[in-house]
Amino acid sequence: MTEVTFPALSKDSPTAEGVVSTWFVSDGEAVQVDQLLAEVQVDKVAAEVPAPRAGVVHLLVGEEATVTQGTPIARID
Amino acid sequence: MTITESPVVPAPRGSHRLTTSKAMVEAIELEMERDPSVIYLGEDVGPYGGIFSSTTGLQEKFGAERVIDTPISETAFIGLAIGAAVEGMRPIAELMFADFMGVCLDQIYNHMAKIHFESGGNVKVPMVLTTAVGGGYSDAAQHSQCLWGTLAHLPGMKVVAPSNPNDAKGLMISAIRDDNPVVYMFHKGVMGLPWMAKNARATDDVPDGDYTVPIGKANVVRQGHDVSIVTVSLSVHHALDAADALAGQGIEAEVLDLRSLVPLDRETILESVAKTGRLVVVDEDYLSFGMSGEVAATITDVDPGMLRAPVARVANPDTPVPYAHGLEYVVLPRQDRIEAAVHRVVKA
Repeated sequence: MTEVTFPALSKDSPTAEGVVSTWFVSDGEAVQVDQLLAEVQVDKVAAEVPAPRAGVVHLLVGEEATVTQGTPIARID
Repeated sequence: MTITESPVVPAPRGSHRLTTSKAMVEAIELEMERDPSVIYLGEDVGPYGGIFSSTTGLQEKFGAERVIDTPISETAFIGLAIGAAVEGMRPIAELMFADFMGVCLDQIYNHMAKIHFESGGNVKVPMVLTTAVGGGYSDAAQHSQCLWGTLAHLPGMKVVAPSNPNDAKGLMISAIRDDNPVVYMFHKGVMGLPWMAKNARATDDVPDGDYTVPIGKANVVRQGHDVSIVTVSLSVHHALDAADALAGQGIEAEVLDLRSLVPLDRETILESVAKTGRLVVVDEDYLSFGMSGEVAATITDVDPGMLRAPVARVANPDTPVPYAHGLEYVVLPRQDRIEAAVHRVVKA
C-alpha cells in the first residue's frame, strides 16, 4: 500500500490548505506508474499528482475538497 | 476478384482523462515529437506554461529554441512566425488574448492571411495562431471578448474553436498539419483550469496517440427534433445544460457544435433545421455583423421556407463586456437566455 499525499506547494506555510481540483482517475481504477492522478492547487498555483507506483487506486477525498498539504488524498494497493 | 486485400484493422485505442488544456498540450507535444519544424512562440509560454496552461511542460521537454518566450511585441513575434512558415516551418504563435489583436492585426490579416493569395498560390503559410477568448470571470472589456466573427470575416484564415478535450486535441493536430493559416481560439472557460469556475465538460476521456478532427465539420452533440441550437465553444456547454432543462419540459433540442467557423459546415446546419424547422443561434461574440447572422443566412439563402418560426439569436448585445459579475452575466449568452429563446421559437 502506498499513500499519495497532497504535494507541498507552499514552502512558506507548511500548513497551507489546498484544493483537489480534478481527479483524472476513478475510485478502484488500475493505474500505471507516473499516470496523472489529479490536479491540485494552493491559491493559484496548480500542480499535477502522478501515481508513484502501479496498482489499484482508492480516492480518499472528493473533488473540490479542501485539505492541508501533506494530507493523504489517495491510496494505491 | 484478383486481389485479396486484408482489411486494415485499426489497433485498439485506449483513452485517458484530460482537461481541455492538457489535451491541447498533448497534441502540440505529439506534433513536436513527430515534426522538428513545429515550434511554439508567445508571451509566457516557456517556464510559466502559458497563462491559460496551453503550453505546460513543453519548454522543459523541447528546450527554449523550440518553445520561445517572446517580448511583449505581438507584431514582431507573429511576423516572425509568418516568416518562419513561409520558409517551411510550422510555427504556432500564441496571442495571449484575442482582445490584443488590435496591436498586430496588420500581420494577421494583411500578411498571414494574404501571402498565399498574393503569391498566386506559390507560397504557403502553414502556421497556427492560438489565442484565448471569452468571458465569465470578471476580466472586463479588454480581456473577455471572443472576436471570432472578426477573424472569420477576413478571408484567408481557417478559424476553429473547440469546446472539449477530444476536439481540442484533434483540431490542434489538424491545424498544425494544415498548409493554411489556422486561428485556434480556445475559450478560457473550457480549459478545465483549477482556478476557474468548475466545468464538468472540460474534463473528459481523450483517445491515446495522435488523431485528427476535421476542420470545417460540425458535430451534432445532442439529437432532437423540436429546435436546432447552433453554437460553438463554451456556449455549447450552456446549450447542452439548457437542452437538458428543456427536455424536462417536453422540448427536445438538437445541439450543433460548429467547432469551426471557417470553413462553416453549412450542410450540417441545413440538415438539422430541415428536420426541426426552428433555429436558435448562440454566440458569445457580439450580435451584429457576426456568426449569428451568418448562420441565419445559411438557411435564408437556401430556403427560408424551411423555418416554421423566426430565427432567434442569443449573443452579446453589442456592448463591451462589463466587469461587475452580475452585469457580465446579463450580457453573456447563458442558459437562461438560451431557454427563453427556445421557448419563443417553439411557441411562435
